[in-house]
Amino acid sequence: MDKARRYLGQALLYGLFFLPIVYFTHLPTHRHLAQDLAVLKIAVRHAGQIIGECTPLGGAEYDKLAPNMKRPETCPRERHPLQVELILDGDTLYRDTVPASGLHSDGVSSMYQRFAIPAGAHHLTLLMNDDEASQGYNWRLEQDIELQPAQVMVASFKEGFRLQ
Amino acid sequence: MKGLLKKGFNWLDSLFSKAFTPQWNPMYQLGALSFLYYWVVAVTGVYLFIFFETSISGAYSSIEEITVGQWYLGGVMRSFHRYASAAMGICVTLHLVREYAMDRYSGPRWFSWVSGIPLLWLLFASAIGGYWLVWDLQAQYIAILTAEWFDWLPIMVDPMASNFLNESTLSDRFFSLLVFLHIGIPLALLLGMFIHIKRVTGARSNPAKGLAAGTLLAMLVVSLWRPALSQAPANLDVAITEVGLDWVFLNPYPLINSWGPGQTWALLVGLSCFLTIIPWLPSKRAKQTPVAVVDPDNCNGCGWCLADCPYEAVSMKDHDFKPGHKQSVVDPDLCVSCGICAGACPSSSPFRHVDELTTGISIPGLHIKELLALTENKLQQLDADTPHIMLYGCDHGSVVGKLESGSVATISMPCSALVPPAFIDYVLRKGLAEGVMIGGCCEGDCFYRLGNTWLDQRFSKERMPILRTRVPREKVRLRWLGEQGTAELGREVEEFQAYLHHADEEEAYYG
Repeated sequence: MDKARRYLGQALLYGLFFLPIVYFTHLPTHRHLAQDLAVLKIAVRHAGQIIGECTPLGGAEYDKLAPNMKRPETCPRERHPLQVELILDGDTLYRDTVPASGLHSDGVSSMYQRFAIPAGAHHLTLLMNDDEASQGYNWRLEQDIELQPAQVMVASFKEGFRLQ
Repeated sequence: MKGLLKKGFNWLDSLFSKAFTPQWNPMYQLGALSFLYYWVVAVTGVYLFIFFETSISGAYSSIEEITVGQWYLGGVMRSFHRYASAAMGICVTLHLVREYAMDRYSGPRWFSWVSGIPLLWLLFASAIGGYWLVWDLQAQYIAILTAEWFDWLPIMVDPMASNFLNESTLSDRFFSLLVFLHIGIPLALLLGMFIHIKRVTGARSNPAKGLAAGTLLAMLVVSLWRPALSQAPANLDVAITEVGLDWVFLNPYPLINSWGPGQTWALLVGLSCFLTIIPWLPSKRAKQTPVAVVDPDNCNGCGWCLADCPYEAVSMKDHDFKPGHKQSVVDPDLCVSCGICAGACPSSSPFRHVDELTTGISIPGLHIKELLALTENKLQQLDADTPHIMLYGCDHGSVVGKLESGSVATISMPCSALVPPAFIDYVLRKGLAEGVMIGGCCEGDCFYRLGNTWLDQRFSKERMPILRTRVPREKVRLRWLGEQGTAELGREVEEFQAYLHHADEEEAYYG
């Protein structure tokens, strides 16, 4: 009898251990996004313009170079950071400077942001400057968009902004 | 706080001991259970991997095929894989909190404590990687938030989240990478678990067979009753609104979204750093007494102390002045001053023909000579008519001092295994007491890991030094009841006295 009671106790305790595990492996559900919201993602991967211009190598400088390194001109590697701005219905949602990657700032600039915005009609403006030497923004997209609840819209950049 | 936790665990220990017996008590084997669950996850993972397709379209459908198409095996394997990982998460957490509550994390034990902290990260990373592979709604949620969480770190050149913009940006190679991580991280976890138990003697990495069978049976029942299922397939073109989460492992994720990645990193890294420095924080606990000292004159190099030290603090070297002989050496960084070595030393015998009792190894806080003097003094002061009992106990188990009376002499020491079996022989042969009782920590839950196990084995003649055959075994009792069992130990002492009294009467009557 004692043994039976002990096994019953074990069954109860195993149950008490595993029941919360079974329950908490998927419940309670988590509300991540309100039902009337949509998602706008902006992702840019673009190399800014190179800072400075190539300059011809003079005779003395040219002569100093090893035979396999001789070249007519030398070019800078550093790139301009990107100025990126996202405006929705006249409100600036995002504005930042994205530096070039790499130890010498000679790589691409990459950024990503996610926004939860109300579903419905919006006026979207995307601006980017990849050359600090020029004033204002040299890349621009303005568009009216219509978002359904839970829709994901992606603004990316490849030789110009595009919406997906 | 710690005291409250300790009371809670003591209560749970008693509850589980009643149902499982102390040998099967899962509260004493949380670490070993974690190892068992790890192996269950590993074995079932190998099976699932055979059928898993590492592609965008194949990941979800292959898991569904395993779950539904072969529910009787693949489905059960998947459920075992999930529930065992969750059970491991809970056992590991309980193990950590319990070791803290029971004060088993400081001094030489710091290594096990500190080496356990990175294991928490590896365990969570292993589990999260597994959920990711299923590529359902939960996986989509994890993928985006994990990527955004890591993108916050300045080490990321290209944002990882750019891989999950929409369906067109996702690549099959991503699943190959995930599988690689889901195998590599658990292997790193296993290596970490090995390091975690490296500095303890005879670390328990297998639970009692009955407990292992019970938990596997319970998991089978649960797997058949509520098999692990996927949610709807992931679709990166549609945002997640509501998702079912595994709250055992994914509880930090809502924070990433609501607090932001930086704050979540600060919280989790801060918590890990805090846990790491806990062994060195000021505490009210008693300071460790000086570590064990070897007396080369009385050490014969038998190695019994080396075999019994629970923390591998004893090693052997060539004897200082006896050529061809060995001698014990104590590593002060590893010694916890439990005194188990003194109880193991064959020189700790009051029957030795020496002017003053001494021994090969002892702790300065309670030298074997002092223990003998204390035993004799205390027993000589007893004046009650009932049979006299010598009750030895430890500072971490039953509070024997509360049971002292005119017929019961008590001595508490760091660990009950400090008492050499020869002492029991001495007390009974010299007629200093009618019976000897030894109490301590709960069975299977010795504060110094192995004290009560070694004492049990010495008394049952399975381990040196043994309790000699001439000692009347009915006059010696070992009771491992823990701090919470002090009152019960008191009742057992009374019952022991009544038994001895009755035995005396019988002997007087029958001769």
